[in-house]
Amino acid sequence: MKTSYQAAVLILINYLVVCINVAFAQSNFKPIYINGYTQGTTYHLTYYAKDSIVRKQEITEILNKIDSSLSVYKPYSLISKFNNPACMEVIMDEHLRKVVKKSLEIYKKSGGIFDITVYPLVRAWGFSNKEISGLPDAATIKQILPYVGSDKLLLKDNKLSKKIPGVQIDVDGIAQGYTVDVISEYFNKKKIKNYLVEVGGELRVKGKKQPENKTMQVGIEGPAKNAQDEPVIQKVVKMDNGGITTSGNYRKYFKEGDKVFSHSIDPKTGYPVQNQLIAVTVKAKDAITADGYDNVLIGMGLTNALKFLKHHTFLQAYFIYHKKNGIVTDTATAGFFKLK
Amino acid sequence: MEPNQISRRKFITKGAVAVGGLAAMRLPALGANVFKSSKLRLGLIGTGSRGTGLAILIKDMADIELVACCDIIPEHLKTGMNYAAKGAVAYTDYRKLLEDKNIDAVIIATPLYTHYLLAVDALSAGKHIYLEKSMTFNIPQSIDLVKRVNDTKLVFQIGFQYRYYGLYKRVKEVMDQNWLGKVSHFECQYNQNSNWRKPLNDPKMEKAINWRMYREYCGGPLSELCAHQIDMVNYMLGSHPLKVTGIGGIDYWKDGRDTYDNIRTIYEYPNGVKSSVTSVLSNAYNGYNIRILGDRATVDIQRDKAFIYAESLENKRGTVDGVTGATIAAITQGKPIELKFEEPDGTNLEPTTYCLQDFFNCVVNHKKPISNVETAMETSIAIHMGNTAADTGLMQTWKPSYNS
Repeated sequence: MKTSYQAAVLILINYLVVCINVAFAQSNFKPIYINGYTQGTTYHLTYYAKDSIVRKQEITEILNKIDSSLSVYKPYSLISKFNNPACMEVIMDEHLRKVVKKSLEIYKKSGGIFDITVYPLVRAWGFSNKEISGLPDAATIKQILPYVGSDKLLLKDNKLSKKIPGVQIDVDGIAQGYTVDVISEYFNKKKIKNYLVEVGGELRVKGKKQPENKTMQVGIEGPAKNAQDEPVIQKVVKMDNGGITTSGNYRKYFKEGDKVFSHSIDPKTGYPVQNQLIAVTVKAKDAITADGYDNVLIGMGLTNALKFLKHHTFLQAYFIYHKKNGIVTDTATAGFFKLK
Repeated sequence: MEPNQISRRKFITKGAVAVGGLAAMRLPALGANVFKSSKLRLGLIGTGSRGTGLAILIKDMADIELVACCDIIPEHLKTGMNYAAKGAVAYTDYRKLLEDKNIDAVIIATPLYTHYLLAVDALSAGKHIYLEKSMTFNIPQSIDLVKRVNDTKLVFQIGFQYRYYGLYKRVKEVMDQNWLGKVSHFECQYNQNSNWRKPLNDPKMEKAINWRMYREYCGGPLSELCAHQIDMVNYMLGSHPLKVTGIGGIDYWKDGRDTYDNIRTIYEYPNGVKSSVTSVLSNAYNGYNIRILGDRATVDIQRDKAFIYAESLENKRGTVDGVTGATIAAITQGKPIELKFEEPDGTNLEPTTYCLQDFFNCVVNHKKPISNVETAMETSIAIHMGNTAADTGLMQTWKPSYNS
């Protein structure tokens, strides 16, 4: 039971908190939403301002530029040009350069688990827009593997080249996070101090929501109890700065018989990743970092992922996984639910 | 001859002998020596356009042999016989065909008003029966047929071929997996821009040929076209309708017909699910179509394709400001997504072929068909309720006495 003294202190503290909030709150600010479609998924942007500062058209232009650079679904994109078997080298634009550079960095740090040269495997397994008539057999995988491995890429200044013909890249594992960062930087440039950018479930947050001046809350989605139901929000994490992304095997998968195949492919074996992880959510300073490493962690499996995180403290992560007895449970690194 | 074919043959023999009651008394015991081929020997009663269509499909089926045809119209009979096996017998009296001991099973593809009589006689003759849809001319006939069929061990299948079609199996699978969310409405239409009239050589043959235009022979568009869609909604919901209201008219083809040239009905199923069933004979846009309306997506079923349209769901902000999750494939970008399906055999044949294959399998393995007398009774009653609702202007409700 609280004493009256404690109660008085609590009231005083509450009062002070309210005063501070009122002092910092931008009472004439309101949320402005921009929603739409890009990269085969949806995006939702929220920024807080007195009035509209950024129009949807500006966002569309940014997104179109990114598509023309990074989309393997667009035949005219720079990446499609690079993936053409006849092409050995492209001059990169800014988008491709930044994404490839970051991808190669994560490739090295992850010991090759994150690898953008996985594209021919992604296609063979039917996870691209190309339909497949059946699952690839061992011989097909064996045939593809020599073309997989980011060590077969050469990045020099603005040039990206293949060491051997037949190498193809797919930056889908990181492009959405990158896109989130590009839009965030655009908001920064427009002097927007409070915003939330979300593309396909990858987010970046800055500041607080207005006019309440409250810390923004991000829901972490996971599979519902009944696998056929729409995924549900499993946890809520408060954020005031940084990126948060999720990689999960509960949406994009396919079934053959009783086996469920995830869309994460192990670039070393050539086969879909099969481990106990259902979803991994990663927090990092920006969305591209979080987005790159969520793939790494899901590829590692829980034990190795937790070990990896001990040595990579710029990442915090939350895992949803199957225990050996099949029960779905979760765990997180110590700093994941902390604000900073 | 392969060994399994011999065993199939024996199975049919045993099945035929095992027929109980009246049929067994009327039929002499069938000795194994009667069967000279390894196929199901089939007699086709009614070789009009539908019957002939079936005969063409059967011609390519290894397990079934068309050994007899029957029709009262000589031209029809001649056409049917073109697709029959070598040495097949032509009958003009179906009773003679039923007496033919060389026949294991019959297909009945005659006008609706004859279905009941022919089915009853074929059951008495101990023949397995494939009866074209819809099942009966009225409700009492439906209820009676259920009893009669269940008194025998004969296979009784109704030609609702869409119950065998991978397309609908896939749609049902997608519904069961909750892709559509909560489904509350079906919108079925079977429209044609046609007067249905077939040319006659002899004016006296008007009703025999153009029987679809007369209520004494059939139920008009509801029994001849929409029957399939009513059957499919029953299948997808796993239930028969509880009530129906409807309105119909002869407002366009005023040519002496007395079946509707337009009818709109609304059926209600358990949990308030509604199904509108429409047939208009003066417009063919999107002719055959079923739309299933769920709160998460719509399925648009066409003749041999289905498309799924996701609802654009608002961002799940609610108590949170944003949601992180595995990427949702956004399928509402103005583009429908085709619902892919494949038949188990990998080839997508005409659905009726699967229906006929199942008939053969049911006869050989003594199984109850997927489209059986009970499911067809529910559809048949629903059709009559719909027509009665339109005829009387009164809502029709499913009576407890209908339940078998």
